[in-house]
Amino acid sequence: MSARSATALRLEIEHALERSFPAALTPAQRTLRETASTGIAEVDALLEGGLPVGAISEINGPESSGRTTLVLSFLAQRTAVGQVCAWVDADDAFDPESAAANGVNLRQLLWVRCRKAGGPVQSKQAAKPWTRLDQALRATDLLLQAGGFAAIVLDLGDTAAEYTRRIPLATWFRFRQAADRARTSLVVLAQAGAAQASPAQSSNAQSGAALALQCAVVSPVIAGGTVLRGFHYEVRNERQRFTPFAVGRKKPPASVWPAASAWDASGDFADVETSAAGEVLEMEQSA
Amino acid sequence: MSQGLYACVHASEFPSQALLRLRPDLQSLPVAVLEGRAPLEQVCSMNRNARQLGAATGMTRLEAEALASQSGGLRLLPRSLEGEAAARAVLLECAASFSPRIEEGSKDADRDASAGTACALVLDIAGTERLFGPPRALAERLRNALKSAGFRASIAVSANFHAARMMAAASRGITVIPSGEEAQALANLSVALLAIPDSHAETLGIWGIRTLGELAALPEVDLIARLGQAASTWRKLAMGAHAHAFQPIEAAFSLREFCEFETPVEQMDSLLFVGARMIDSLALRAATHAMSLALVTVDLELEGKQAHRLMVRPALPSVDRKFLLKLLQLEIAAKPPPAAVLSLALSAEAGQSSKVQLGLFAPQTPEPSRLDVTIARLKAIAGEDRVGSPMLEDTHRAGSFRMANFTAANPPDEEHEGQPRMALRRLRPPLAVRVALNAGQPALFHDGSQSYKVATSFGPWRSSGCWWSMDGWDSDEWDVLAESQGAPVACVLVMDRGKHEWRLEAFYD
Repeated sequence: MSARSATALRLEIEHALERSFPAALTPAQRTLRETASTGIAEVDALLEGGLPVGAISEINGPESSGRTTLVLSFLAQRTAVGQVCAWVDADDAFDPESAAANGVNLRQLLWVRCRKAGGPVQSKQAAKPWTRLDQALRATDLLLQAGGFAAIVLDLGDTAAEYTRRIPLATWFRFRQAADRARTSLVVLAQAGAAQASPAQSSNAQSGAALALQCAVVSPVIAGGTVLRGFHYEVRNERQRFTPFAVGRKKPPASVWPAASAWDASGDFADVETSAAGEVLEMEQSA
Repeated sequence: MSQGLYACVHASEFPSQALLRLRPDLQSLPVAVLEGRAPLEQVCSMNRNARQLGAATGMTRLEAEALASQSGGLRLLPRSLEGEAAARAVLLECAASFSPRIEEGSKDADRDASAGTACALVLDIAGTERLFGPPRALAERLRNALKSAGFRASIAVSANFHAARMMAAASRGITVIPSGEEAQALANLSVALLAIPDSHAETLGIWGIRTLGELAALPEVDLIARLGQAASTWRKLAMGAHAHAFQPIEAAFSLREFCEFETPVEQMDSLLFVGARMIDSLALRAATHAMSLALVTVDLELEGKQAHRLMVRPALPSVDRKFLLKLLQLEIAAKPPPAAVLSLALSAEAGQSSKVQLGLFAPQTPEPSRLDVTIARLKAIAGEDRVGSPMLEDTHRAGSFRMANFTAANPPDEEHEGQPRMALRRLRPPLAVRVALNAGQPALFHDGSQSYKVATSFGPWRSSGCWWSMDGWDSDEWDVLAESQGAPVACVLVMDRGKHEWRLEAFYD
């Protein structure tokens, strides 16, 4: 009876305030999105599940910021369950050995290497970055239309931001629709926010991407070591459009995760892992 | 013993039919086919439109060209024996779907003027009534099947082999001769249908014997006395009473189509126009055997005696015409012929039909046929050797791999539970850098556009191999932590010991 009264009271208040505040006391419904694990517990905790399925995820960062390692770890999880993935390589920078070391099943991976100089038609234009970018975008479009790929990585990691920001907004919207229809995680690997609405906009308010992560390196090396190891990377969640429904729960905006070296044995890696690596940094969310 | 029943399929003007079957654009035009060595070519076959224009068998090229200039529109094509062989195989295969027992029907009639350019097959259709209905119904279905394969043929059904053969050659459409009425049915046909030597044919002409009925009416004993024992056979043939020992041919199942163009073709659209008809025919023939096309080989004969071969290999055997045509189009676009095309030949390997058992809980993978088209399109964009699955090679050389064909149907590996490991982003080709050393360690390097100050370096890690071959390597590798414009980077520097060159090979990322 009391519950009914509370409901009636709420409806009465909402009805009274309807002109000023529509549905004032009813929490807004939020879209629940399926996510796929990245294979890195710290990043999954940050993203509350992983990268979104059927949406664009943007992973930005400079060189040596751990973005490629993060994406390879994600692909390893996808291919391990028999799903197929694609890597559209605008700059021909993909390293199969690194992918294999991260556990990616290479037979389940379609690698599209865009030509650096000359396509089917040899010309001066073909050597320009925009031509390679055009190839990458067309290849991504085809793969999204084909369907059936669990994840497609559009690797623009070595393409300068001045070129990636020239990608028309309509392209990202088309990709977003196609990814949603095909239930594909489209991961854009870039130096800066490529899937943002416009070059002038620093925020991701109108972005085509459902998720934007900014990667950076935290501790480059362990002093006194004889081999390169002990990298820790920071991932900052700059934008997450579809968060899982959780009332009154703040999510941490950034986290730090460790990466082993290719020559580290599984046991050795436990020594490298420090207490600071696993902890989630509570940082203020950027605007 | 049950009485035999034969159906004869007679495709007249076969050289022109074989040429026009795959060329629907020419079917409504008057076309004459020339054979022989230039300049002594003669018209050997023509279609109905050409006959109406006045073309006739035996015309010389000059006469045919004069007729073409007068009437306009008469097309003269060279005879293609290879195309006829392919068309005959199609005709045989089409007939074989009605009866497995088939005998060549035109071999006995070599002397007949029309038989030299006709293709005749006699089917033993005894006992097929429960499958195809009465003889007329079978003949109609057979005629429709031939029509869909691009042939016009007359069909005659008779209990006598030779009666069926001669009636099919002399009539149009479908003729069914009731059992026991062969003599009456053949009575009005010309004696030219019998392979009678010229001397005896002249004698018969002097006697005024023009039809088979007139020949059959002659007394047998007197005829043998004047023309020899062969006359008995001719008389029996004329009466439709000559017995025949059926000799079925064993037709090998081969999927091949051939088309020769009268002029060199440069446009891909024209090529695909013909290719579409060929793929149609191949797919239909494979489907009649409950098979699909697993591999289609395209052989193009080019100007200057060059040959150009293309392979269309769908991931799963298919008889989907649109899908195969798209693959063919993309293959030709990816590897265009370097010269104009003189002839086009398609041969296919049959495979089991593309039925894939899907699982309810199996992960979603790309549809094989769509994936084929997508990969072909990607190859057209990026290049033939730049799309596929990377496969690691069994070598210690850093960054070595090969591209393999991508197939979606791979069993998943065991679940990966390892930790992430620092990945490399390679520079292809490696970037030449200038390096300043300090106590044997890299201290500063410059890649032409920016300088990197080395904070820490690990190495050198020496690696060498394949010294016995041209692609050997011998290098020192350094893992370098550097700083450029205030940003830390980790990269791989390599010093080629053979060339004494420093290269920036990859970035850790």
